[in-house]
Amino acid sequence: MKIGFIGLGIMGRPMALNLIKGGHAVTVWARRAESMQPLLEAGAKGAASPADAARGNELVISMVADAPDVAEVMRGVASAGQPGLVAVDMSTIDPAAARQIGEDLAAAGIDFVDAPVSGGEVGAIAGTLSIMAGGSEAAFARAKPAFECMGKNIVHVGASGAGQVTKAANQIVTGMGVLAVAEAFAFAAKNGVDRGKVREALLGGFAYSKILENHGQRMLDRNFKPGFKSWMHEKDLNIVMQTAHELGLCLPGSAATAQMFNAMVGSGLGEEDSIAILKLLERLSGQE
Amino acid sequence: MKVGFIGLGAMGRPMAMHLQRAGHELAVWARRPESIGDLPVRVCATPAELGRCCEVVFTVITSSADVEGVALGTDGLSDGMAPGSVLVDCSTIAPDAARYIAGQLAEKGIHFLDAPVSGGEQGAIDATLAIMAGGDVAVLDRVRPLLECLGKRIVHVGPNGAGQVAKACNQMIMVAAIEAAAEAMRLAAGAGVDCAKVRQALSGGSAASRVLDVMGQRMVSRDFSAGIEARLHHKDFGLVLEAARQSGVPVPLTAVVAQQLNALMAQGWGRDDTSSLLRVLELE
Repeated sequence: MKIGFIGLGIMGRPMALNLIKGGHAVTVWARRAESMQPLLEAGAKGAASPADAARGNELVISMVADAPDVAEVMRGVASAGQPGLVAVDMSTIDPAAARQIGEDLAAAGIDFVDAPVSGGEVGAIAGTLSIMAGGSEAAFARAKPAFECMGKNIVHVGASGAGQVTKAANQIVTGMGVLAVAEAFAFAAKNGVDRGKVREALLGGFAYSKILENHGQRMLDRNFKPGFKSWMHEKDLNIVMQTAHELGLCLPGSAATAQMFNAMVGSGLGEEDSIAILKLLERLSGQE
Repeated sequence: MKVGFIGLGAMGRPMAMHLQRAGHELAVWARRPESIGDLPVRVCATPAELGRCCEVVFTVITSSADVEGVALGTDGLSDGMAPGSVLVDCSTIAPDAARYIAGQLAEKGIHFLDAPVSGGEQGAIDATLAIMAGGDVAVLDRVRPLLECLGKRIVHVGPNGAGQVAKACNQMIMVAAIEAAAEAMRLAAGAGVDCAKVRQALSGGSAASRVLDVMGQRMVSRDFSAGIEARLHHKDFGLVLEAARQSGVPVPLTAVVAQQLNALMAQGWGRDDTSSLLRVLELE
């Protein structure tokens, strides 16, 4: 398939590479030209603009930071004058913004799928991302061969925006999950108990989770290199909290967790992995 | 002085009448003309027209978007107000929005003060509002005689936006105190103790507060009619949390109180008093 790919950051770069490996003809565009270089070396064509990345392609995919960025690149895509194109956004943005972008693209005759991912940089490189998609059945079917190069667990959740709702739900679980593991470790340590042994014991029971296994290990190793940067998790939890505010939805655990991430960003931990929430807890409890 | 007024709601109406009673020549514009009622004032067709005939214009409306629309939109105040005139915005809006509006007006030589108020409808009627102002001191001094018709305590907090930051701080403390009072009343009731007596006992000690007096009494007598409509506090908490986020300042208590307000909204109590936070606790 002929695919345009916009946004070549930590996640976008390996995702685009996996499309090339999957035999697709990929055209790339990134705001910073130097981010395109590794993809060009791997056989991608370079585009001069988002519109250029859409032109002549059957599918165009964006993987950028936030809703205004998605809206901007999709305005470019719409201007390419390519009716019948399917546009897919795999960034994590506000569900309401995704629905709006879907409507705007529909006016230009372009089908839109919101398809955010979970699995981090590791999943992007391995091509094992979870992909949660919202949009029409037909548009999802056309994007599916591309999804299969990038991910394993690919679920068409529902109509436009449903993918982003699912991703927000994912961030609630992972945000509280990483805080829960960090609190359990801080609790063990302050009680003079070895956290590694606690992790090992818990892995066999109901507290088992991927977060306990993977993030827990990185906490033990004190490896705070991202991975998934805290400021991005903060941004995602803000989407959750704003949606809760608009809908009249009581989410006390998410609210407390969002404030922990807010404190991380405010105290200089924003560029570290979200597991650096452990450092914040240790600071608060005098365990540094 | 020729004074314009936009926003004749529960707060704005008594404020406008105080200005008129003090001898100022009052003109108004209203999105819903019926809200003007029998006020004996000059009625303008657009905010721009109001701006053209006034030296100072007050706005007391709901959201950042509303204030922006009235100030900067088509036929907005900025199309009519003369250089040197002053827009005093008494609404509660985002500090960011206040700074933006101030910047846009400054390009036309129009002065802006963010001057949100605290004290509720009763404070507006009694002209005892606390007014927290952000903007140029010299501009504040020019309109101070007008503000003195509305409130007792007028504090210059800092440059544009600072008044709104102060108002955000006010809302954090006030609504958290309402939640604390509600939880205390709920605990008393749950433990089989008379709420009225608890409130009475507390009023003489370190936990005494205006919130416990006023909102506590509403809870005791189960009078949940507004007062201050809870939906407005809910709106304000959105602003507070966004400001906290932008500054990277953790506000854990505010965040949890915001969730109780979300639950209140979900029950359809947004037009009732915020003392309805007690009823949220009774759901659990």
